[in-house]
Amino acid sequence: MLIKKASRRGSSVSWSRRLVPYLFVAPNFAIFLTFIIWPAIRGFWISFFDSTDGVHFKYVGNANFKEILHDPTISQVARNTITYVFFYVLLAITISIALALVVNEQKFAKGFFRAILFMPVMLSPVVVGLIWSDIVDRKHGPLNAAIKMLGGGAPGWLVDTNLGMVTVVFVGLWVHVGFYSIILLAGLQGIDRSVLEAASIDGASRMQTIRQIILPLLKPTTLVIIILATIHGFQSFDFIYTLTGGGPLGATTLIVQYIYERAFGVPIRYGLGSAAGVILFLVIFAFTALNFIVGRRRNAV
Amino acid sequence: MKLLRIFDANAKNNWTSTSGRRTPETAEILRTALLIGMTFVVLAPVIWFTLSSFKGLAELGGRPHFLPQSFSLDNYSEALKSYNYKRYFFNSVFVTTVATILTLVINSMAAYAFAKYNFRGRDGLFVLTLAMIMIPLQVILIPIYLVVAQLGMVNTYWGLIIPAAATPTGVFVIRQYMLTIPDELIESARIDGAGEFRIYARIVLPLARPALAVVAIFSILWRWNDFIWPLLVAQDEKFYTLPVALAQLNGRLAVPTNIIIAMSVMSIIPVLFMFVFMQRQIVQGISQTGMK
Repeated sequence: MLIKKASRRGSSVSWSRRLVPYLFVAPNFAIFLTFIIWPAIRGFWISFFDSTDGVHFKYVGNANFKEILHDPTISQVARNTITYVFFYVLLAITISIALALVVNEQKFAKGFFRAILFMPVMLSPVVVGLIWSDIVDRKHGPLNAAIKMLGGGAPGWLVDTNLGMVTVVFVGLWVHVGFYSIILLAGLQGIDRSVLEAASIDGASRMQTIRQIILPLLKPTTLVIIILATIHGFQSFDFIYTLTGGGPLGATTLIVQYIYERAFGVPIRYGLGSAAGVILFLVIFAFTALNFIVGRRRNAV
Repeated sequence: MKLLRIFDANAKNNWTSTSGRRTPETAEILRTALLIGMTFVVLAPVIWFTLSSFKGLAELGGRPHFLPQSFSLDNYSEALKSYNYKRYFFNSVFVTTVATILTLVINSMAAYAFAKYNFRGRDGLFVLTLAMIMIPLQVILIPIYLVVAQLGMVNTYWGLIIPAAATPTGVFVIRQYMLTIPDELIESARIDGAGEFRIYARIVLPLARPALAVVAIFSILWRWNDFIWPLLVAQDEKFYTLPVALAQLNGRLAVPTNIIIAMSVMSIIPVLFMFVFMQRQIVQGISQTGMK
């Protein structure tokens, strides 16, 4: 048997056997090439052209990028996106870590609460937008009815420009926070119990244990969450589309909706939209790399 | 902020949870109260929305009540009768099913090659696969649409199914699992004269079932809830999937809210089923790969 095995591993392996692994990866890579790699290259290329029909392309150099830097509509979109991502990531990290710590300690009905955590992320974002637009409706929604009962006014959650952003950030968190907590819970379970026991024997308080032992040990998982939340933040589009439609007055229009509208809304500008896509890619890439480098360096110290 | 304050309260109690014994009751009560609060924030909107689906249009436009004043199924029968709900539902089921099968087949084939063969360019291709996670659809929205349009796949089921079928995460999850299958098993099958494809289909695939289940569940969730891709490809109403139909109908003033709500509730029922029955695999998938 050994001899047979050896001979099969030798150079006598037929060319058809050597071809096998390539055949196995071929279907997957045919799709990767056609629908991810080629479009990615082409998108970069198109960003230097102008086209309103996808058939005729006119070379314009870096005019699209220049326009993006100077156009007031796009600077509003950029401001919205940065505001959204900043608050979304900050709050998502804080709340998901706190929730994970709480659920991890929980004994009564732990499985139930853990299930509740990831329920929202399973719902269609389009439906999530519809659900919340029903809840926060100014006149007929239960939220304002409750606020009124407590003696408050009737805030225009989807009408006021600032509140619109608050609502969108909140719903984004509602969808994802529990999902992040589930990942963090897995990280918490990986922490060696004897370290925690040693801390408690040494008389460390609860808060000290969390700050000085659990959080540092949880850092690799936290880094994953920061990266995921940053990417999710920059990609947000679908629930916002049915929640606010990007309004009021464009106050919640983020970059992805802008790209979508340049391809399918008036005026159609494929080149400009592609340029925005290239910038989005570079921004996401830069943030991910930055998170990674900063996280690494801190770990090394 | 509120959460942190509760932690401070816990800290004062000086309890040692790691031993699992002397947990003071107040901490447990505070924690449970907090988690019940969280449960309320998560469930209340969904329950409210579901109850709304039994309310008439007049009631939805009036002062809000928790329970429907006059419980009726009219919204549902209207959605099924006067709107193309059945068509959208069929499209969603069809696209989800075919895309998931295709994903399982091609992802597991690629995963098998990565896990069990030594071939020139293997590591490079694998890194390339992982790098693909970095290029989200949103970034290449326009060029990918132009490619699909050139291939004549706009307003076709293939256009909805094929482009998103080769998932990098799926390849990764299945490959990691296949690494744990012993090589001896494959070698001895070869010695017994089994062909390469037969080994993959008859020996490796059945053993990789747990990983395939995780990928299948997530693929179903992705495809069922997917919005931006079908929004681009399905421009003709005949090809609308449920999320696209809901978003488009919601944008039309002529379609009343009660219909939209009833359709939305019907569309989340399959997902809720998976939520109830497939928890273990979902938690496993989320915590291993960070996919959603």
